[in-house]
Amino acid sequence: MAAATSDYTFRHEHLLGIEGLHPLDIQHILDLSDTYADATRAGQRPGPILKGRTVVNLFFENSTRTLSSFEIAARRLGADVISMPVGNSSVKKGETLIDTAMTLNAMKPDALVIRHSASGGAKLLSRKVDCAVINAGDGTHEHPTQALLDLLTIRRTKGRIEGLKVVICGDIAHSRVARSTTMALHLMGARVHLCGPRTLIPPGTDTWGAESAGTDFDRALPGADVVMMLRLQLERMNGSLLPSQREYFRYFGLTADRLAVAKEDAIVMHPGPMNRGVEIESSIADGERSVITQQVEMGVAVREAVLHLLAGARA
Amino acid sequence: MSIEIVNARLLDPATGTDAPGGVFIDKGVIKEFRTGTGVSFKDAKETIDAGGLCLAPGLIDLRAKTGEPGEEHKETLATASRAALSGGITSLVVMPDTRPVIDDVALVQFIAERGRETAFARVYPAGGLTVGLAGEAMSEIGLMAEAGAVLFTNGDWPVASAQVMKRVMTYAASRGAIVMSRPDERTLAGGGVMNAGEFAARHGLAGIPIEAEWLGAARDVVLAEQTGCTLILDQVTSQRTLDIVDVARGRGAKVFATVAAHSLFFNELDVGDYLTYCKVNPPFRAEQARKTLIAALKEGAIDAVVSAHDPQPPEEKRLPFGEASFGAAGLETVLPCLLTLVAEGELSLLEALAPVTIGPASILGLPQGRIAKGAPADLILFDAGKPWLCDRDQLLSRSKNSPFDGRRLQGRVMRTFVGGKTVFER
Repeated sequence: MAAATSDYTFRHEHLLGIEGLHPLDIQHILDLSDTYADATRAGQRPGPILKGRTVVNLFFENSTRTLSSFEIAARRLGADVISMPVGNSSVKKGETLIDTAMTLNAMKPDALVIRHSASGGAKLLSRKVDCAVINAGDGTHEHPTQALLDLLTIRRTKGRIEGLKVVICGDIAHSRVARSTTMALHLMGARVHLCGPRTLIPPGTDTWGAESAGTDFDRALPGADVVMMLRLQLERMNGSLLPSQREYFRYFGLTADRLAVAKEDAIVMHPGPMNRGVEIESSIADGERSVITQQVEMGVAVREAVLHLLAGARA
Repeated sequence: MSIEIVNARLLDPATGTDAPGGVFIDKGVIKEFRTGTGVSFKDAKETIDAGGLCLAPGLIDLRAKTGEPGEEHKETLATASRAALSGGITSLVVMPDTRPVIDDVALVQFIAERGRETAFARVYPAGGLTVGLAGEAMSEIGLMAEAGAVLFTNGDWPVASAQVMKRVMTYAASRGAIVMSRPDERTLAGGGVMNAGEFAARHGLAGIPIEAEWLGAARDVVLAEQTGCTLILDQVTSQRTLDIVDVARGRGAKVFATVAAHSLFFNELDVGDYLTYCKVNPPFRAEQARKTLIAALKEGAIDAVVSAHDPQPPEEKRLPFGEASFGAAGLETVLPCLLTLVAEGELSLLEALAPVTIGPASILGLPQGRIAKGAPADLILFDAGKPWLCDRDQLLSRSKNSPFDGRRLQGRVMRTFVGGKTVFER
């Protein structure tokens, strides 16, 4: 695969999801992200690749970490960044997503980064605008940059992705991270096992590339190279999908005892923000096997790479 | 004025007729019809040479929504009628979920009058089953029936309370009124936007499980059996629901089942990349379910195929899938959809026509929907094999939200008669 990258070009206009990407695309983004991550660690500033370009962050859902991550990434590359916390603007006055998009489009930005509570929101936007659209999470559908930063973190820690056993545990049904990350890991040759309460496991996870989807966390863990815990939305308790936090933690919480059956060098991941004591024990979250803060760091690198490829290449 | 239509292929599902022949019309009714080649009628003032086209009863649609009154920007009775006639529908039952809801005598009379004044198709009002369709208080079923309401329904959102449903059906039965209800257990289906399953899960869309239809159907047929009320199960999407109907019929319940034409054509995968024109309720199901519906249609297990016409303007559809309105424009594609299935060899012409002519006519007790002496001369001439490309901008409906947009269909209406008068010609 390394030889093939020499005459490879990234051909996508948008990044709407992992679905539709080729393993070479992912490899290319990860390689570029690596150089950005290395540069930042070495205290270097990347060149002003996006100088004169405008990146608009359009977040219809509240978010601190993803929004800041995109902002920092765009600024590091020299772009002009405007972040619109749409949650409390004209959209609440009845303006539709498409109207907002067309208005912004008329101002000729180079990239729109969108987070929206509706699945397919980014896709809809991409049909109506001329600039690059980057999906920063659409409903319960996809969150591709999260998947890419997960892969980058894994690759940098483990040296590879292919052949690794990855266990993803939690609310699979409502998680856009689970969908995107499972698909991306599968494309890159990892073996993904999903785990969670039966009420939170949707049908057809094999079509995402998961090898299994079960309800017994302890049976999934042996031999795992990577254990990824998902955030449990506490409101799930009200919808009779789960009995209680206590019971959830009993069966699906990541504890030191549980983790002991995974591989000795297994790493622990979490897309954040964490509910300590609900899905993960604090000692694990802050422990030496945790790469959770590294994920945040890699998030900026991945977004620099994605913005570089999508906003930088445009005439 | 007397007219003869000759040199036609006569198709009448009521009698199983499929033969060359002609029809003689006088004073708006069918005076005579004969099969055979070279048939003609003396005394005819006007002769229409069908040139070998199919001549069949006009279609009767048990379920069309318009926006009149209150949302005329979506559709009026006049625009719905124009669309219907171009699709071969000569009689349509219009749903009560308008603004205001058709839930009292004056409004039923309003619909009937506006239909007569502004529409060339025959318009039959359906009355609201409960006041404001709120599912709580019974509406004036008897008085509305006297004023011309042909059936009673709660429209898109069925009565949630089993107690209210039982009381309403008990009362309706005593007045000889027909109740139409969409089988749907809302507490299970609520929040869903497409068929539940792998496709919905993968696209992060909330699912409407098929079990919600089964549970709703089970409740309603049990109540139909207990109360003796005539029940139309509105827009069935699965074989198992038809099985539930079958068992109830075996126990003496007067239950009929309808299917939306688009459910015979599309499956859940047609939702594709969040195409909101394919957002309907009940949703498009799995391909296997679609196939069993066609098989059921062939066996005669489906009493009526409906347009489920639900005009929605762009602002209701140009939204993320989850936020867009349900509903598809359907008046102009019922017959082409069925004829396409005929062209694909799934159905015979008579099997395709029965559930849109004699089927609904029998449920409502209407004299049309057949080629019979004395029946109203509501007829269509169509070219069964004519291929055409559905382009939503060419549709006559005021709202263009057709899932058939861009699809190739086979079979087209060339001329439509209501009461012997030509009301549409292509």
